[in-house]
Amino acid sequence: MTVTTALARLLAPRTTARAHCDLPCGIYDPEQARIEAESCHRMIEKYNASDDPVFRDRALHNKEERAELVKHHLDVLWHDYFKPEHLEAVPNLHDLFWQASKQVSKVKASVDPADSKKLLDLIDEVDAAWKATGGPAKTRVSGRPS
Amino acid sequence: MLPAIEPGDWLFVNPRVSNWPKPGSVVIFHEPDSGELAVKRVAAGPGEKVRFAAGYLTLADDEAWLTADASPGQTGRAGFGPPVDSNRFGPVPRSLLVGRVLFRYGPLRRVGRISSPDGPTGP
Repeated sequence: MTVTTALARLLAPRTTARAHCDLPCGIYDPEQARIEAESCHRMIEKYNASDDPVFRDRALHNKEERAELVKHHLDVLWHDYFKPEHLEAVPNLHDLFWQASKQVSKVKASVDPADSKKLLDLIDEVDAAWKATGGPAKTRVSGRPS
Repeated sequence: MLPAIEPGDWLFVNPRVSNWPKPGSVVIFHEPDSGELAVKRVAAGPGEKVRFAAGYLTLADDEAWLTADASPGQTGRAGFGPPVDSNRFGPVPRSLLVGRVLFRYGPLRRVGRISSPDGPTGP
């Protein structure tokens, strides 16, 4: 072993720090959020149609779980799919996601179907933004199934 | 953290830091979500206001906002997703700070100071 090699071994770092980026699969579709939001809407309808306290508790629990998934899917779209250059096609992008995320929080705490319906409408606007930026061709393997 | 830091760089780190160093400094810290050891640049320190999403947020007196040098557009063109930084995991508390990067001591051809995100001279 040469002196240089020995010195290099002695000085070599013992710990590695990462400066990583995501390596996403590249598959995005607002339909994931829409399906979970529809579950919230249906749970609210079932809650209001029932007098059984146990059933109503379960409906609330289910709704809150699904609402968390809606928020997750919206966050993934916002942070991973949409890029700064998409603001040209969708100038209100940030405001739209902010409103949609706030509406999810409202649905979590609400049993008013008007609130879950408004969330569905906002997700439809996200869907329009996804389509306006070429989402179906860019982020699905063979486009969105019809 | 390209071009300031390349994969394989050997970084000399001062672990005896009592608080967040000034903005522009490069730090080693544990990521809030994963606990992984990571390297990023201080974009804003305790008490400062940072732009986030469509608004602003004010950092607490023990928090910093840490960002990558590359923009999401740059990492996207390189085939990666957005950088994993405070825009993803939020403000980082002082308790997760490990140390401040002082200089690079290897490999030999790259020994020297850590450049700023805008050019070869920096903190």
